[in-house]
Amino acid sequence: MKLEGGQISTSGLSFLLICYIFGSTIIIIPGREAEHNIWLAYIAGMTEGLIFAFIYTTLAQRFPQKTLIEINDLIYGPILGKLISLSYILYFLQLTALILRDFGDFFRGVLMPETPLVVFILFSALLGASAVRNGIEVIARCSIIIGPLAIVTSILVTLMLLPQMKITNILPIGDIPLKDFIKASHTVASVPFGETIAFLMVFAFMEKEKVKNIRKLTLLTIILGSIFLLINIFQTACTLGKTAQITLYPTFTAIRLINIGDVFTRLEALVIFAFLGLGFLKLTVSYYGATLGMAQILKLRSYLPLVLPLGVIIVVTSILHFENTIENIVWTSDIYPYYSIPFQIGIPLLSLLIAMVRKLPKQKTGSKQQQK
Amino acid sequence: MFSFLAKKLKFLQLLKKNLSQDQEEQNKSPQLTANLKTNLQMIKNILGNSDDIIIRPFVLGTKDQQEAALIMIDGLIDKASVHDFIIKPLMLESRSLNDNDSLADSIEELTETLVCIAEVKKVKTLDELVNDCLKGDTALLVNGHPGALIINTRGWKSRGIEQPQTEVSVRGPREGFTETLRVNTALIRRKIRDPDLTFETMTIGKRSKTDVTIVYLKGVVRPGLVEEIKKRLKKINTDLILESGYIEQFIEDAPFSPFSTIGNTERPDTVAAKIMEGRAAILVDGTPMVLTVPLLFIESFQTMEDYYSRPYYASVVRLLRMLSFFISIMAPATYVALTTFHQELLPTPLALSMASAREGVPFPAFLEAFLLGLAFEILREAGIRLPQAVGTAISIVGALVIGEAAVSAGLVSAPLIIVVAITAISSFAVIPQSDASAFIRFILFLLASTLGIFGISVGLLGILIHLATLKSFGVPYLAPFAPLKPADLKDTLIRFPLWLMITRPSSITKKDPQREKWGLMPRPQDDNNKG
Repeated sequence: MKLEGGQISTSGLSFLLICYIFGSTIIIIPGREAEHNIWLAYIAGMTEGLIFAFIYTTLAQRFPQKTLIEINDLIYGPILGKLISLSYILYFLQLTALILRDFGDFFRGVLMPETPLVVFILFSALLGASAVRNGIEVIARCSIIIGPLAIVTSILVTLMLLPQMKITNILPIGDIPLKDFIKASHTVASVPFGETIAFLMVFAFMEKEKVKNIRKLTLLTIILGSIFLLINIFQTACTLGKTAQITLYPTFTAIRLINIGDVFTRLEALVIFAFLGLGFLKLTVSYYGATLGMAQILKLRSYLPLVLPLGVIIVVTSILHFENTIENIVWTSDIYPYYSIPFQIGIPLLSLLIAMVRKLPKQKTGSKQQQK
Repeated sequence: MFSFLAKKLKFLQLLKKNLSQDQEEQNKSPQLTANLKTNLQMIKNILGNSDDIIIRPFVLGTKDQQEAALIMIDGLIDKASVHDFIIKPLMLESRSLNDNDSLADSIEELTETLVCIAEVKKVKTLDELVNDCLKGDTALLVNGHPGALIINTRGWKSRGIEQPQTEVSVRGPREGFTETLRVNTALIRRKIRDPDLTFETMTIGKRSKTDVTIVYLKGVVRPGLVEEIKKRLKKINTDLILESGYIEQFIEDAPFSPFSTIGNTERPDTVAAKIMEGRAAILVDGTPMVLTVPLLFIESFQTMEDYYSRPYYASVVRLLRMLSFFISIMAPATYVALTTFHQELLPTPLALSMASAREGVPFPAFLEAFLLGLAFEILREAGIRLPQAVGTAISIVGALVIGEAAVSAGLVSAPLIIVVAITAISSFAVIPQSDASAFIRFILFLLASTLGIFGISVGLLGILIHLATLKSFGVPYLAPFAPLKPADLKDTLIRFPLWLMITRPSSITKKDPQREKWGLMPRPQDDNNKG
């Protein structure tokens, strides 16, 4: 019995991955401790992120057509594996809640400060739930529409901001204590790149003949997405300079500064849709991971009954997680990078090592069909 | 509760019984006997005393005269051919011709000798005879011979081939489908003279017995498509099919979606082009609207004229259509969101002029836009079905009352009039999606008036998710964008030149993929060599 009948194509995976990396990063811009050297921190963070992605995709290729939950079962055995899987599901749930909260805070902060937070979170979660119910194929299709739209938007914004950019804003290069730099770059690595661990739930539904390309495709996509992200970071840093430190949402503040001949001003409304679309895709992937993982642990025939209950948990968590926006930002930069280390790098690395030592998966023709 | 369920169950069982009874009845239809009188009596019992039924008894031959009878329906037959090619040979020429011992050993022999009409077949049961007569055929019964001859004499008054009313084109053929199925199939056959072009007909409607024909090109059509259409058509068990819309609603993939997953057209050239791309068409007798499946979202923005005119302007027009679709769904919503929630997003001079225009308007922007939108929809509905003279009067009254008086009376603001007018015009630019866009416009409008731009974004994303889930006969609705088929993008946002459209759209069919040769780009020879 298969939980998910859909298949994801190479283009679907690429755009989904790009959207996922853009996701909440574009709004909150983690790693701002690096100040005007933020783009250096991003380059370092992306390199670290590529190592993460290398580990994940090696795992995915070693266990083709298997999700993270099934991989854990194979490596750690049924009991310990279930425990680890459960902790991953809790992590995915929390991750979804955090993304929701980021976007809820953002929309409330910039659009409608007097509307209760729950409205934004609820509507975004409902969008996520409806996409999750329809399966990974539909999520990938949405990403093929939203991805190019977001890329085009970001390029347009960058072009329109050219008059406002000052290259002196990022000088001097490299005057940052190593400790701060490492902290900032690790934050960058952990927020968008480490979170791609959720894709271990998605790689399993790659078209069969394309499984061998997963690693190459993922790494290439991440590099491509990183370049776009870097352009945005660069643009924000050049436009805002020191003020990027004190604004809550630097990208959005930069877009507000667009002024071409006093005609094209205040264009931020145009990017709202792209931002919401990116956030929606990011939360959908981790939401999907949590729901599908839960169904696999409980050995359900379908994950659909779990979508709404888990959604309620996610919405409540995201509202109760922080008192206010500032707490969210501090948590993202000071606690989250360390908190997520075991999930993002510890366990996957351990899994890979164990799999290599135990020479998993064992080649048995008969056992493959039983494990479905 | 339980009694309610029990009742429902009983009802279902009854339904099932009815259905199985129907099938039994169909199976045992009485055979035609050799006795003419019994046969005629049976036919009279079934057809009753209707005025339009003609039963014409006559005598065949001279020597040993055989009684015979013709049965036909007045108004459905071509009287001239019945007189000249059936009655005349049978009554007059049979006398001079025949000196043998018996006139005809079997009823088929009459076909070979006397009946001068191309399409003749023999039936054995009463039901077949009655059904064929009701289609306009003439039945010939001869005493002493079991079975009857069905002679095709169909011919009734019908509209001629005219320019299609719904899809007018500046350049391109002017002919449109008519209400007669046979004429429509001929129109398609004339466009594609390929032996692979196949028409498969089935009868749907327990009482209307409407002919429904599936058209496709064997060897090109999407594999499994025809079987799927037949499966869905066979499931239709209803009494009446009046228009292809009936069929559409019974076989569509997403009955609850505002978007239609089955295309319709009135133009033979459109149908021919779609068949060539691997689609199938469904023709229904009695309507000029032909269904085409599968339908992709992008098809709503394509017209045949795009391909007849040169690619530059065609591409621009196509982009314009997309833009007007977005304007038509988003304009009122954006107006409400901007005036109610996000005044800061407007440039200051514009915001000021809009605020001054809205000064003194007694309603909130939401109500104002809602009322005006409602007025427009009423105007449109009132004007659309009236004779042209009255229709003009309505539009003048509407324009005067709504455009002028309402603004000068201070009931609505002038910018809103502009917004509603632009919305209306834009919605007419994309006719295939105009139903869906009216519905979406209203939903986005509600979302915008409660949540502003965030609401609009949520609505658009919701629509996107919905579109991504839709499938039309197994083809994703958003193809070739999502799932992405790069080769198929040649005919989407921009129409490539015809000599670059080398392959058929792979999201529809993968059979016989290459439709033209490479390198067809016109390269005129440089024949005025000056050397």
